[in-house]
Amino acid sequence: MKHILKIMALLVAVAGIWISLLETSVVPRSYTWLLPVYLVVSLGCYGLLMVGVGLMLFPTCPQEASLLQKVALVIMFISDQFCAQIPAFSG
Amino acid sequence: MELADKAVGFLLSAISLSIFSYYTFWVIILPFVEKDHFVHGYFLPQEYAILIPVFAGVVLLSFLCVFVGCVMIKSNKKKKSA
Repeated sequence: MKHILKIMALLVAVAGIWISLLETSVVPRSYTWLLPVYLVVSLGCYGLLMVGVGLMLFPTCPQEASLLQKVALVIMFISDQFCAQIPAFSG
Repeated sequence: MELADKAVGFLLSAISLSIFSYYTFWVIILPFVEKDHFVHGYFLPQEYAILIPVFAGVVLLSFLCVFVGCVMIKSNKKKKSA
């Protein structure tokens, strides 16, 4: 609930700034009309950029991977030995 | 494996940065340039600066709705048959 309220407050603040810009004509009017569309497009671009940067910086840990593979081999080896010793499983 | 990931990530960031810079130049800088400048030839008329994002948004919304509808129909069919 808090998150929704935060996002709605942010939206209301942006709308207020936009309407005040329209009324006081600090910037030329054509700009102010284009501002919401521009903000939405830049938000989408920012999201895409974050996804791309996250993909590029994603950490693969090669040493831990090889260590895990060795551990898996050891476990399989020990379980084979264990199963071979119990007559119910080997017989 | 990591190289493919890095390549895709780099491609995505490059696409997003190019779209952002093109759109910023189109909407913010171009109105201040005189009408005879050659750079106007590289950009579409200004109405498209609004039409294209709105059209893309509408397409995305309709695609989402169609997808949600298909998933709902499938789950209903499963409920009826099961």
